[in-house]
Amino acid sequence: MRTKIKSILALLLIFVTATSCDDYLDLRPEDGIVREEFWKTKEDVQAAVIGIYSSLLKKPPGAQIPTNGTDYNISEYLFMYGEIRADMISPAGFVTLDQRDITTSNILSSNDLTSWAAFYRVINYCNTVIELAPAVRESDPTLSQAQLNNYLSEALAIRAYLYFTLARTFKDVPLKLNATLSDMDNFQLAKTPQNEIFEQVIKDLALAEEYAVTDYGNIPSNKGRITVYAINAMQADVYLWTDRYTEALTAADKVISSGKFELIPASNSWFSRVFAEGNTTESIFEFQYTTQNLNPFYDMFLQRPEFIASPVVLEDVFGVDFADPTNRDIRGERSSLVAGTNEIYKYTGLNMDDRKSLQESDTHWFVYRYSDVLLLKAEALTQLDRGAEAVAIIEDIRTKRRAISLTAQIVNPASKSEVTDYLLAERAREFAFEGKRWFDVLRNARRKDYDRLDLLKNMALISAPADQLQTILAKLEDPNSHYLPINEYEMYTNKALVQNPFYK
Amino acid sequence: MKQKITNLLYRFSFALIILAALPSFAQDSKGNLVRGQVVDSGDNLPIPSATIVEQDSENRTVGGVLSDIDGNFAIHLKNPNNKLLVSFIGYKSKVVSINGKTSIKIALVSTITSLDNVVVTGQKKVESGLLNIAERNKTTSSVTIKAADIANSQAASIDEQLQGRIAGVDIIASSGDPGAGMQIKIRGASSISGSSSPLIVVDGMPYETSVPADFNFGTADDEGYAALLNIAPSDIDTITIDKDAAATALWGSRAAGGVIIINTKRGGISAPKISYSFVGTRTKVPDALPMLNGDQYSQLIPEEFMNRDGVPLNTQNIKEFQYDPQEVYYYKNYSNNTDWTKAISQIGLIHDHNLSLQGGGQRARYFSSVGYYNSKGVTIGTGMERITTRLNLDYVVSDRIRFKTDIAYTFSSTDRNYVNNFSDSKDKDLLRSVSYGKMPNMGIFEYDQSGVLTPNYFSPAQNVQGGYPGTYNPVAMAEFATNNQVSNRVVPHFNINVDIIPQRLISTFDLQFDFNSTKAKSFLPQNATGRPITETVVNRASDVDVDLANISTKTNFIYTPDFGEKQNLSVLLSLQSNDSRYESHQVITSNTASSLLTDPSNPSRTQNSELNLYTSNSQTRTIGSLLNAQYGLLDRYIVNVGLRADGNSRFGQENRYGLFPSASARWRVSGESFMQNISWIDDLSVRLSYGQSGKAPKYDYRYYNVYGNFPSEYLGLNGVYPQNIELSNFRWETLTGKNLGFNFQMFNKRVQLDVEIYRNTTKDMIFQDLDITTVSGYSKMDQNVGTMDNQGWELGLFTTPIKTDKWKVEFNFNIASNQNMIREISEYFPNESGNTDRNGEYKRFLQKDNPFGSFYGYRFKGVYTDKEATLAKDANGNVITGPNGQTVYMRFNYPNTDYTFQPGDAIYEDINKDGNIDSRDVVYLGNSNPKLTGGFGPNIIFNNQFKLLLFFNFRMNYDIINGTDMTTTNMHGWGNQSTATLSRWRNPGDKTEMPRAVYNAGYNWLGSDRYVEDASFVRLRSVTFSYSFGKKLLRSLRMDEVRTYLTADNLYTWTKYRGQDPEVSMSSGPFGIAIDNSRTPPTSRFSLGITTRF
Repeated sequence: MRTKIKSILALLLIFVTATSCDDYLDLRPEDGIVREEFWKTKEDVQAAVIGIYSSLLKKPPGAQIPTNGTDYNISEYLFMYGEIRADMISPAGFVTLDQRDITTSNILSSNDLTSWAAFYRVINYCNTVIELAPAVRESDPTLSQAQLNNYLSEALAIRAYLYFTLARTFKDVPLKLNATLSDMDNFQLAKTPQNEIFEQVIKDLALAEEYAVTDYGNIPSNKGRITVYAINAMQADVYLWTDRYTEALTAADKVISSGKFELIPASNSWFSRVFAEGNTTESIFEFQYTTQNLNPFYDMFLQRPEFIASPVVLEDVFGVDFADPTNRDIRGERSSLVAGTNEIYKYTGLNMDDRKSLQESDTHWFVYRYSDVLLLKAEALTQLDRGAEAVAIIEDIRTKRRAISLTAQIVNPASKSEVTDYLLAERAREFAFEGKRWFDVLRNARRKDYDRLDLLKNMALISAPADQLQTILAKLEDPNSHYLPINEYEMYTNKALVQNPFYK
Repeated sequence: MKQKITNLLYRFSFALIILAALPSFAQDSKGNLVRGQVVDSGDNLPIPSATIVEQDSENRTVGGVLSDIDGNFAIHLKNPNNKLLVSFIGYKSKVVSINGKTSIKIALVSTITSLDNVVVTGQKKVESGLLNIAERNKTTSSVTIKAADIANSQAASIDEQLQGRIAGVDIIASSGDPGAGMQIKIRGASSISGSSSPLIVVDGMPYETSVPADFNFGTADDEGYAALLNIAPSDIDTITIDKDAAATALWGSRAAGGVIIINTKRGGISAPKISYSFVGTRTKVPDALPMLNGDQYSQLIPEEFMNRDGVPLNTQNIKEFQYDPQEVYYYKNYSNNTDWTKAISQIGLIHDHNLSLQGGGQRARYFSSVGYYNSKGVTIGTGMERITTRLNLDYVVSDRIRFKTDIAYTFSSTDRNYVNNFSDSKDKDLLRSVSYGKMPNMGIFEYDQSGVLTPNYFSPAQNVQGGYPGTYNPVAMAEFATNNQVSNRVVPHFNINVDIIPQRLISTFDLQFDFNSTKAKSFLPQNATGRPITETVVNRASDVDVDLANISTKTNFIYTPDFGEKQNLSVLLSLQSNDSRYESHQVITSNTASSLLTDPSNPSRTQNSELNLYTSNSQTRTIGSLLNAQYGLLDRYIVNVGLRADGNSRFGQENRYGLFPSASARWRVSGESFMQNISWIDDLSVRLSYGQSGKAPKYDYRYYNVYGNFPSEYLGLNGVYPQNIELSNFRWETLTGKNLGFNFQMFNKRVQLDVEIYRNTTKDMIFQDLDITTVSGYSKMDQNVGTMDNQGWELGLFTTPIKTDKWKVEFNFNIASNQNMIREISEYFPNESGNTDRNGEYKRFLQKDNPFGSFYGYRFKGVYTDKEATLAKDANGNVITGPNGQTVYMRFNYPNTDYTFQPGDAIYEDINKDGNIDSRDVVYLGNSNPKLTGGFGPNIIFNNQFKLLLFFNFRMNYDIINGTDMTTTNMHGWGNQSTATLSRWRNPGDKTEMPRAVYNAGYNWLGSDRYVEDASFVRLRSVTFSYSFGKKLLRSLRMDEVRTYLTADNLYTWTKYRGQDPEVSMSSGPFGIAIDNSRTPPTSRFSLGITTRF
């Protein structure tokens, strides 16, 4: 009897403990894919590349935000970095304290706009594709080398563009070119000087150009994904920042000579075609917001306006012909802004009369348009002492946009400074609220060791509150102040970083 | 996966069946007739219908008959060696051996007489689910409370009743609303982040109280878990709190925060007893902070605006302050004196009914209860309804086999305000705080264009204060917007207890299922916010389903060899497993066609980042095995050692298993021969213990790099992205505790003193979502960040100073002190927090080997009366002049902010005398860690009928930041302010302590000592007066017990603190400080209760 019980007890013990513990505890998520199972087919590579684009439009679900930070979408950062320190926008009713602080040049490293988290997040997605996609060819032979190269080109170009933006905004930033995989990796990266970042951008763009797609076979993809022309436009831009004007000219000419782009003549439907609908022959690269994936600007400019056009924009930038109200720059009233309220209209208008409703607020974010390439070319020409050609490009655009004579400038083509002024004024009209203004002025101001610092100061004269003008002008004397500080959050999480000396 | 569980289950059930069947193998039957008669031993009259049961050697029932009207019976015995058990209600059961007799006469003794000579023997043992050790032999620090001792105060849950009663156990409510959870901390926060909640063990099995990782629909935060609520307080028999690590180590991986062992009531051998109790409570929010009325507010705002830059408020545009009777609509709607806070408050009412039935016989015992709890909160739109049912069955098959089956079911439905957002720890009661800041010149109801009052709530889409979510009409919000959470929880628990070798080797098997299904529905109608119909906050409907399924098993083998009188040994082997699944579905849509269509299934929209369709599921498994032995020698030297191994599916293979040893000992000094002569000492013991317990992270699957999908397509294609960093280097957090304790019992147990000194060290602290450099592409990552100590002491004193036939006075006192400090920390952990360049923030530093809770800021020195006063002065008091001889005025944060102080601005002490107020002028202001906490109170009992119970709790020596004062006197925005601002600076020469009003500018409310106050307090937490009916009366009513009582909670607080409530919890982590943002003092409650038993 006893032995019987004991033997059964022993049996029972075996029953309970026999299940292999490790098998029992090895659980995998049921509603996600783990890396070990991903990266097997060409569809996986495509999905990861599309993920990069999606992350430019909106932050991914569940993405975490730095402590005390606000995580804007990339397109919002692009808007704010390009406009908030310049002279074309003013704070509106729903502006945040941090946003207001930047407009008044009261910039502290605790300001949440100085967070670059969103940029490095997308950079990591690019790095992941660049690092892990090539191995997919081993498991999926149907992925051709050409196809793989196309995907790599997209990732490389987007990474380059993001680093380009970071270097223009923060000057020196850490350069991370490998994917973040495990918590064993080292993230303590020191800053890389701005010029080296630009070099890396140039290098990446060169490789991307080699691998790039010229035609995806449909217009939305040609405008919404990286093509060789988008890469060339970026090249023209970055070469201008590095004072390599011949290369800039060549890159711009590649786009122009492709014959795939042209300016659309002014008409009542010009605004609605170019902006409200998008993907026109004027467009090179646009973030493709849709009615299923609305842009963030409806809220930012219309529902809870954070910014409005600065009061001077309508009269000083576009000009008003009081004698003939119908004589209007097509890019001004009811295109860039609404007269009277100074509401920013570019991203919310349906046509020149009506606004879109919230549900159809799908206006794209315009990264590069054809006119950008033309004006970048004009800038290169100016610096190459071919001012007359530059002025010709400006005049051509002015004609096509029905710019009013009030804003025309008679410039001496031989004077770089006069042409530059005219060019910047034209760029202000052409790219109003497209996140270009601050970078345009800064790029021209910093040339030849800040030869044109007056450009930045003039901008401050227009936009700065009267009581802070002197302080702001004094701050602008230090070139380091032209760049944002590194967020304090980065400073303590990355011991290798050194703060921009202006903000120490 | 599923198959594995089923497999496991099969194995268990198979094992159970075998074990249950085991002893019956030994059966063999042989007919044998016995006749007899059952009579009353007193008068020798026959007892009809008595039960005669045949039992085998293990007291297992084999057969049975009833006696007839003459008390006669006849039974066929299956085995002549079996015994007969004869029982009848009102008589003591009797066992008769047959020994071959064929006729037998059995006399039963009436229990009425037998009750007199009952002698209680044995030692107090409380079921712990592991080794059951008598209280007096415990080698670890733990406290057991009989629920009956604390059953008087009105509380929805037992945690609320425990508040302040046990030294070292800190319980604080997360919100005053019905159904809100409690935060329980045993000996301070053991963990640097996330929850330090203790493990709850109910009837021997761990009880799930954790909130799933993505459970974020505005119900409960991590720490405030309402789950404990689901056990009706009246069902609870005892609560044991294990405080030291040697005790908690036995529970292993979830026990780092301490263990609370709850045992529910069970039936005993008795006639059926019915108990009914009722408690009715009236709660009321005491008068809140006095705020400006509409007229005073309308004076403040234009002044505040004008002070910014000299531009007057343009009342042509901002008609809220125009007061022009020609503009009828604005004039009528914006010339009121509304007390918004009062408008959303109501008297709360709670009624709580409990009905229970318990009883049983030799074989089967039962306890069954039904409870109904209904509470209406003090804010309109809040309330809770709960039904709890429980059935605890015990069946004694034989001396060797016992079954227990418990089923508990709870239904609860909680109504909250829509805007109470618990996911963000900062705003727990948005509705109330909006009501405080709301313009008092606005009316609750709207006047139409011709000035006629309409019955519609006045909800403009926005006005000068802004729109939703910043502000709204709080009354409309409370009334119309809904936020309801319904949960159903069923917990069946099966237990079989088999004595494999009687007295020597005992085994128990437990199987517990726990199904918890929660549905949360909320709806935000247009008329609550007034926002335009196209916005996605209009008619926003959400529906969330969360299902949790838990299967736990436990197998115990307890071996107790016989070593004679002088020694005793118990060895336990326990094997435990848990499989927990979680599934959730969430839908949030907006713009349903009407405010009456409140379900997301109606045609509505989802295209917005806040609106989504979301599902998630996850699974966690744990296994644990424990070897534990308790050895006692001569009743004086007691040693307990344990070793627990745990495995958890949340770790990668490298770090999956944890080993948690423990050892503890007790030396009963009073048992030594040299102490024998000291008769007044009943027990004097010294205890020493050491143990480890662990903590696993909160999230599953983190050791994989998981890829997720974007919700929307790009160019018709789906995008995928890596969601997290693979955590290969992530380890168990272990808590190592050392405890030295003394137990002292004197004067016939009239005085009992427990003293504990402890140090708990948490190593490899898990920090959830520690910031990492975003250069990595991610913002946060879970990491093991360092080592933290919790150290302190506790003292509990239980005395009975008076004990006579009529009077009994008890006095209990507990006091504790705990300090939290970092010993070692990752260099990437931020070492400071708070930006003193901004209004309203205090600086906190993380300093190794220093206690948490210190904060730093400026020193407030009053208000600049005029321009002259703002001149910058150096250390000698001379006016500072600039390089060109110009006068220099005091500035703030030059050169970054460079604000020049104006007359009427707050003066901050210029510590370094450089004419510039900046971070160099920041000084130490205080510490919000209470030096001492505790409670005390007498219980006075007269004649066992009248009872007066008083309970006080206290906290001593700590500073808190009066956040309420800050937000209601900063005069910085459009929000309403307190009446204290009436004394503000207005004109040069004004001498006051209240700075001028400046809209959105100035630095008048920097973190300074102006808001820091000593918040030590003593509070009369509860007073209960209870009366039990006398025996005579009861007998005539045919009842066993009738007791009525009256309880008042939160009657009075003695404190110097000027704010509403000095009992403010410190937020967790090294930067936690106590900030009092509550503008409402704790609700005072009056309850009337009645308990009956018959």
